[in-house]
Amino acid sequence: MALETVRSGIGGLDAILQGGFLNGGVYIVQGEPGAGKTILGNQLCYNHVAQTEGFALYVTLLAESHARMMAHIGAMSFFDPEAVPDRVYYVSAFRVLEEEGLKGLVTLLRREVQNRNVSLVVLDGLVAAEETAGTPREFKKFIHEVQTVAAVSASTMFLLTSASASNIPVAAEQTMVDGVIEMRLRLYGRRSEREIIVHKRRGGPFLEGRHSFLITGDGLCVFPRTEALLARPTPGDRAPAFRVMTGVAGLDDMLGGGLIGPSPMMVVGPPGIGKTTLGIHFLGGCSAKEPGLFFSFYETKDAISRQARQLGSPLAKWLETGVVDYVWQPTTDGLIDDVAARLLDIVRRKGIKRLFLDGVDGFVELAVEPERVKPLFTAITNELRALGVTVIYTHEDDVCVTGGVLPLTGTHLRGASGIAETIILMRYAELRSELHRFVSVLKARNSHIARTLRRFEMTDRGIVVEPDNAGAEGVLEALQSGFQPQRGD
Amino acid sequence: MAVVLVVDDEFGIAELIQAILEDEGHRVLTAIHGRAALARLSQDEPELILIDFMMPVMDGAALFRTIANDPKLKHIRLAMMSSLPRETVLKGLGDVPFLRKPFRYKDVLAVVEEALDGRK
Repeated sequence: MALETVRSGIGGLDAILQGGFLNGGVYIVQGEPGAGKTILGNQLCYNHVAQTEGFALYVTLLAESHARMMAHIGAMSFFDPEAVPDRVYYVSAFRVLEEEGLKGLVTLLRREVQNRNVSLVVLDGLVAAEETAGTPREFKKFIHEVQTVAAVSASTMFLLTSASASNIPVAAEQTMVDGVIEMRLRLYGRRSEREIIVHKRRGGPFLEGRHSFLITGDGLCVFPRTEALLARPTPGDRAPAFRVMTGVAGLDDMLGGGLIGPSPMMVVGPPGIGKTTLGIHFLGGCSAKEPGLFFSFYETKDAISRQARQLGSPLAKWLETGVVDYVWQPTTDGLIDDVAARLLDIVRRKGIKRLFLDGVDGFVELAVEPERVKPLFTAITNELRALGVTVIYTHEDDVCVTGGVLPLTGTHLRGASGIAETIILMRYAELRSELHRFVSVLKARNSHIARTLRRFEMTDRGIVVEPDNAGAEGVLEALQSGFQPQRGD
Repeated sequence: MAVVLVVDDEFGIAELIQAILEDEGHRVLTAIHGRAALARLSQDEPELILIDFMMPVMDGAALFRTIANDPKLKHIRLAMMSSLPRETVLKGLGDVPFLRKPFRYKDVLAVVEEALDGRK
């Protein structure tokens, strides 16, 4: 018989727990002072009474006073003053613990749970109970008695403790309970990130490893590690592949008739070469039936709208009418898993079919652990493919101008194959005082691609790729021989 | 000066109120919940009971009603205190002096003065 579960009501946490907590289970939440345990405890209470007909009891031992606690959580959106005292109730059990010991504390818990028909209990300050216990055996006995109360009353219990996290998950009491959750603050240089780890959860699988969370006006916002959450992409219809035009005729020609959708393409090139302009072309091809998303780490919606208008691109109209959504995410601060979650959320909600993400480097700048970016992007890519989204990512390359060396020299694309089925390279070539632009298709799965470099120009209508490689040949030949070709050769 | 019983489950609150009132010359008794307060009343008879609203075992409203309905106890003056709003706490209890938490020293003295005002 499957055990009934209780959801925390915190989306990311329920995703990590693959459904929630076991009804009638006992969980230890461990973390140093300031980790966010009390906020989590209160959020569990208010979410519980908001989602169920249940009653939540918050029991403090050596914790801040109820008045101060309520003043702190009073500003958070989950707090419902109408729920206290009829649905959420606060008591202090420290003096009972002092006067009557652990036995008195268990008796108090049992009576309160029974008399008030409590379905969720938070015991804040377990370390005080541990200190009261004369021996480890006595403390284990207390945990066992709490488990018995929880099981008999079908009341889910959370024991919050600031005891040292170094003994996770081997301490005796942790081996007894149904789950152990650790909350902590980690420093990365001058930056910090809050993390939540589920060390143990009886009754089913969960997403292991470290996950990020924020404390916001909505309480805890938990972001499961994207690559763990999306380890298996959402099952899709697996529609047959179709062609998606990039909106740049010469490039579509080089690709053998456009991109194969839904698939990811990466455009690599130095600053100013035209990557963002390619995005304007691409999203200009959206329609009400094929909505798009422009996700930028660098430029605001106004800047892109202005550029689209100057180029005469339909994107300007699509941005106004909402056919194309725009998200600007500065790289100054943020969590990559939060950004990934918001990106996927808007894709799912709006049924996005074309996504232009400018660019991969923004995720690298946000990441406190850069080695995570590749697996994260692989997971996002798989999910977007499953959702039927054709994606163009940009990746900024160094300004390694071709001048007397091979055109691809200095390009770093190791690992790009995992996230892009098509790779386009845009490069400058410096011939005397003039910068020429080249484009080449390095890879395009299942397509007959042009294996040549083409020269392209940025015009008042956007990118124009030359119909053949003659112009590129001319520039490269001149570079090799030292002669200056005439434009259009 | 009066004998005051402070009923509060929270560590530190009852002790703090006790210290404030003893500085003013009152004699102060404490209890950690409603049932403990009733046990205390069998030994001592205070002139005023300052009752917290949310407590384990027997809550403040239950204690208030028990005292108010007991012919032997109903002459004792009562005041309520809580971190919840006055209207939530006093619903069904009548208009009695109320101390909102968190409080300042002067708030404690003011509510005790209000509760004892007019005593014989």
